[in-house]
Amino acid sequence: MINELVNSLLDGDRPGTPSKAEDTESEKVIPSHHARHSSVSTGYGISPVTSTPQSPSVTVPPRYIPEFSSFEAVILDIAPKELVLYSKEVQTDENSFGPSPPDEHEIRAKILKEQEEKEKARQAALEEEKLKIEAEKKRAQQLKDLSEEDRKKILVSNEFAKFIDHSTKIVERALNENYDFMKDYSIIKDNENDDQSGSRVKNLHSFFDERWTKNRSVTDVNWSHKNPELCVASYNKNPFALNEPDGVALVWSLQLLDRPEYIFHSQSDVLTTMFSEFHPTLVIGGTYSGQIVLWDMRAKSLPVLKTPLSASGHTHPVYSMQMVGTQNAHNLITASTDGLICSWQLDMLVQPQETLELVHSEHSKTDEVSVTALGFPDNETAAFWVGTEEGVCYQANRYGRAGGKAGINQYDVYKGHWGPITGLHFHPISGPVDFSDLYLTSSVDWTCKLWRAKSISKPSTSPQSITPLYSFESADDYVYDVKWSPKHPALFASVDGTGKFSVWNLNIDTEVPIVSTQVGSQAKALNKINWDKEGRKTAIGSSDGRIHIYDIGELAYPRDDEWFIMQKTISEMINTTESHSGRYAIAK
Amino acid sequence: MSEVEENIKRLTANKHVQGVLIVNEDGQIIKSTLEPTLNKKYSDLITKLVEQTIFCIKEMDDTNDLTFLRVRTKKHEILIAPDKEYLLITIQNPETKS
Repeated sequence: MINELVNSLLDGDRPGTPSKAEDTESEKVIPSHHARHSSVSTGYGISPVTSTPQSPSVTVPPRYIPEFSSFEAVILDIAPKELVLYSKEVQTDENSFGPSPPDEHEIRAKILKEQEEKEKARQAALEEEKLKIEAEKKRAQQLKDLSEEDRKKILVSNEFAKFIDHSTKIVERALNENYDFMKDYSIIKDNENDDQSGSRVKNLHSFFDERWTKNRSVTDVNWSHKNPELCVASYNKNPFALNEPDGVALVWSLQLLDRPEYIFHSQSDVLTTMFSEFHPTLVIGGTYSGQIVLWDMRAKSLPVLKTPLSASGHTHPVYSMQMVGTQNAHNLITASTDGLICSWQLDMLVQPQETLELVHSEHSKTDEVSVTALGFPDNETAAFWVGTEEGVCYQANRYGRAGGKAGINQYDVYKGHWGPITGLHFHPISGPVDFSDLYLTSSVDWTCKLWRAKSISKPSTSPQSITPLYSFESADDYVYDVKWSPKHPALFASVDGTGKFSVWNLNIDTEVPIVSTQVGSQAKALNKINWDKEGRKTAIGSSDGRIHIYDIGELAYPRDDEWFIMQKTISEMINTTESHSGRYAIAK
Repeated sequence: MSEVEENIKRLTANKHVQGVLIVNEDGQIIKSTLEPTLNKKYSDLITKLVEQTIFCIKEMDDTNDLTFLRVRTKKHEILIAPDKEYLLITIQNPETKS
């Protein structure tokens, strides 16, 4: 009874999940577990229920017919725990402690040896130095001085000339740098008395060359599109130097004031020149013989290409030309005084791409239209306007189109000048209001005139004369050239035969120029003028061979409202002309 | 007057230029507008300076070469245009510039 009680108590205390070891042991002692329980009071805590699994082979008596049933057994395969073993050993090998310290004698010997070696090296170096110095001395003695003969030989050698030409150019440019980068602003110098600070335009420099421009006249000036400091000028022949080429074109740089950067030659007087807008190194020239020449700054002074002197091209003087088109598709349009217009591809000057003869059937003696000036409106490549020797402007088309055929538009006659036209320039587009139909002309009748070009899409069908919008009549001599400012809508500049350079601002005054200044000391006639890209500097070509560069300073920059004031000025001009003549119909 | 002389003359005529010296690669004087006492000094020392500079430039990048050397000093500025065979040395006084 007590045993039973103990057992039941133990059962309650120990739930039936004994350890493996206990299990195996308990199985072994199954037959006598009662006896054991009785003898060992505490025991292993194995209850009869848990320790005797109901194995059928043991417990089922044979008289029962065994019933088979299926069951699912889940066999869990638990891998034995892996044992990782480490073996301990010394990882540093003996060599890492280095050899046993050498004894003192050895060290001493070594140091001595090293010192000796050093000494030797020093001696060797000294010796070498001595030798070198001696060699240098010898060389110096040998070189001593160049003999007068050698010196002369070098001075006349071709290579030396090339070196001098190149290096002096660089040095001169460096010298012409006006800004002193070491300037110390804390030091006050009081020698600042700018003699020209009062005037509004300032003569920056006048280019002149004793050999190349003396006795010649400037026939044209043009600024580089790529390098703002470069300008090119063409010259006619020098009657006193028969051995020099007749025509020259010089490329001048504002950084190299005393001589031209490049000198280009031509067999015939160069009448007009310009930098190619799309090739920074190319310079184009139109000549008196009618040849178009092409110079390259990478090549020598002779033209790299020129048109042949044949009936396929010009055979009369070429006074005007213009590049039209874009970077990828552009043409050079040239006009000669016999009324021939040619269109060229710059890389192929053998023959013109197109030719167009300007003729006017109404002319009394000859039907030729003698072109002295040519102008394309901005962004226009087919229609252009020409100024002629008779003082009349015409519109012309390069190609035939629905409204009319190629050639001159005979009915629209821009009549106003009483002498040959010397310059014609269209308003460059560059702002909020489009003035691209306005153009200026200059003439030997002492005036400049402002015109409004008639829309090309509506040509007249009967003869009609168009009068100028305005006439600027302050000059006392031939007006040789007129050019709009590229930046300011109402600003333009003109040059005349008395050597006067005038800047006009239509928004301020239309009667007189805002600035008029005498260029040069001798009142020589001024042939051409051209603005630089920024519209601040002008290059003026004089008949005494000088190029005068003028800076117009603050005048160059338009205020924001300048465009609208200009629009008002123009519409006032249109109204006045209309009320006067009544013949001019506004296209818009 | 030959073109060479003309070029040199134009350079010396510049109001900032104090002197022009042209030497060959060994430092021998070909043309000079300096005082005779200064000639030797300038030609020797500047030739050495240029040699050193070229060495220095080439050591940094052996595809490179010296094209122009400008030395600004307290008293003046030395402009040196080197070439394969000759050196053009120009001494200018930048103080006179505005």
